[in-house]
Amino acid sequence: MSSDLRRPRSESSLPEGLTSVQEDWTQLRTLLLAPEQTQLDEIRERLDNRVVQSGDVSQVLPEAFALRGDNDPQLSTVLAPYVENGFVASVRKSPRTIVDAIAPIIAPAIRQAIARALQSMTQSFNHTLDESLSVRGLRWRVEAWRTGKPFAEVVLLHRLRYRVEQVFLIHRETGLLLQHVATNGAVIQDQHVLSGMLTAIQNYVRDSFGGRQDQTLDQFQVGEWTVWSEQGSQAYLACVVRGTPPGSLREILCDTLNHIHAQHTDALAHFVGDEAPFKTTQPQLESCLQAQYESPPKQSSLKLSILIGLLLLGSVWWGWMEYQTHTRWSNLLAGLRAEPGLVVTEAKSAWGEYRLEGLRDPLAKDPTAMVIEAGLEPATVKAVWSPYYALDSPLVLARAHSILQPPTTVKLHIAGETLVATGFASTEWVRETKRLAVLVPGISQYRDEGLVTTSIPVLLAQINRAIIHFRSGSSSVEPSERAVLDVVSTTLRELDRAALQSGQRVALEVLGSADATGSAALNLQLSKQRAQAVLAILGEKRLGDGITLVPGTVQLSDQQGATRETSSLRSVTLRAALTAPEQVQETARP
Amino acid sequence: MIQKKICMLGGFAVGKTSLVRRFVTNVFSDHYQTTIGVTVEKKTVAIKDHDVMLMLWDLYGEDEFQHVRDSYLRGSSAYILVMDGTRKVTLDTALALQQTAARTLGTVPFVSIINKADLQSEWEIDDGAIEQLRARGWTVLFGSAKLGQGVEELFLSVATQIMHGSPLPTERL
Repeated sequence: MSSDLRRPRSESSLPEGLTSVQEDWTQLRTLLLAPEQTQLDEIRERLDNRVVQSGDVSQVLPEAFALRGDNDPQLSTVLAPYVENGFVASVRKSPRTIVDAIAPIIAPAIRQAIARALQSMTQSFNHTLDESLSVRGLRWRVEAWRTGKPFAEVVLLHRLRYRVEQVFLIHRETGLLLQHVATNGAVIQDQHVLSGMLTAIQNYVRDSFGGRQDQTLDQFQVGEWTVWSEQGSQAYLACVVRGTPPGSLREILCDTLNHIHAQHTDALAHFVGDEAPFKTTQPQLESCLQAQYESPPKQSSLKLSILIGLLLLGSVWWGWMEYQTHTRWSNLLAGLRAEPGLVVTEAKSAWGEYRLEGLRDPLAKDPTAMVIEAGLEPATVKAVWSPYYALDSPLVLARAHSILQPPTTVKLHIAGETLVATGFASTEWVRETKRLAVLVPGISQYRDEGLVTTSIPVLLAQINRAIIHFRSGSSSVEPSERAVLDVVSTTLRELDRAALQSGQRVALEVLGSADATGSAALNLQLSKQRAQAVLAILGEKRLGDGITLVPGTVQLSDQQGATRETSSLRSVTLRAALTAPEQVQETARP
Repeated sequence: MIQKKICMLGGFAVGKTSLVRRFVTNVFSDHYQTTIGVTVEKKTVAIKDHDVMLMLWDLYGEDEFQHVRDSYLRGSSAYILVMDGTRKVTLDTALALQQTAARTLGTVPFVSIINKADLQSEWEIDDGAIEQLRARGWTVLFGSAKLGQGVEELFLSVATQIMHGSPLPTERL
């Protein structure tokens, strides 16, 4: 119609009268329809102009989506592929933006999952470690081998006090499952069907006992599993628990259910079978997946502590004993090495037994005695000593004493490699020592300048020559004779020493005599008194043990008067002679 | 995913369980049905690109000893009335059950099926009775659990009615 209005027919092809009419008609039409024509042109312009179209559509697009989407899921179906493609393109183009957007949602979930996994792993590891060496643990290990389950799982199951294995959030009226969570390893039947059956059982029990709507089956038990249900106004929670749950679990379930009811009031009230709104309840349901494991018995812990304590004490004691033994061994070695005449060439110790090898001078200290002194058992020490001559001064000196057998009046000492003798000795010993001394190992020279030598026969002769004179009729020793007696006394001491050195004894006889003047009885008496006077003086000088005095001997004048002068008859003489000790004893007896 | 509760209703031994068994892979034993009067099964069907999970409450057959519990019916989005074509009494039971269901559930979609189509020659339910049912506004389908005929169509019809309020075209036997 519009094309007719705008494009009048060609005038040239029409008769003149008709042309006029058409013009009039055109004018009339223009006059009548001009405003509509304008509007029509504007509408045509809007329809043909794509820019204007886009603007118009953009203004009504949200409302159009809302209007169509409310009642018809077709819009979502149609848009879904485009939204998916757009999402994929966006991820490929700028993944960082997507990551930033979903990180706040995903990160906590990942953290929670990792924490749960680590907690479970640590718990499993601890239980496994605790039970790995016990008798019960061995029994469980056999069970694990028999059932094909991992050992850690068997340990956990046996140590389990309770564990919430599954939690169902179920719509109360329809019995449809709203959300379900389960622990790893839980045996799960079809949770949707199970929800229906649980609801049916609830209804059956309530109907059977004529219970009210608010009276419900809160708990039932099947073998090692207990099913707890917690009823809400619109939904209820059903928990499948392995073991015996504590009463506190009921409070947790109640709180969780109340929280879910509060958060999803509308979704529950208008539930038509769509479980999507209840996905957000998953963290709350997971918080109900509680578990408690039997802690290791304290008795075992005490036993273990005692065992560890004993082991520790044993270790300390063993360590201390080892230390002591080692110290004793070290001290023994140090002592042996410091001891003259002992040279340790090898020392070994292993497993409480010791072995020693070395050189030992025959005069050195006995190593076995040193082992005992060190506190070690001689039986544990095996020693092999090879003999040798040590050149240590003490040993050389001991060797010299051993070979030369010096009298006690002689003192030997070592100066470098020289043996020095001092003191008193018989000429016989001195002579023999000069010959032997340089033959002693370790001695290259011998010196005896400090040695006083005495000869017993000479001393005997000196004593036997001594005469102590007396005045006529007197038995008192004259002061002038005291000097003679002193010499005699000194000589006697030397004789005594020499006799002792040579292992001999001297018998000393004191002979008193008188001249022929006076009666024989008086002279006999006087002779005895003179002998006793000399003996008394000699006794004061304390003669040595090697001399035995024989007092009271009298020499009568008539027996010798013919050969001796008178003055010499008034005297006391001494007669000393070497004698065996037995003879002296016999002589001394009356 | 959308879930819907559907009840299977019908007289004793009309073949409700057989129809369900033809449709689903069972999880629970039939024993529960005689114990607590119901077995719940599940089947997911696609209705116009939408997955719908049908929770089928297979109720024990109505007889003189055991009646359908109202509590089992509550919350159903639809129900299926099963009749045995060879026993006219099952039609009467279905009528009574429909009344019970309507009283408990209000106006919800339902589909009826006359089972044992493989024994059609022995049927006691005649065309007149069927027409009367249809005149009441019932959707009447025919099927054979034994042969597996009409089973898929039955459940698809119910699901479609729930989702869109209009039955899918089904082949009448």
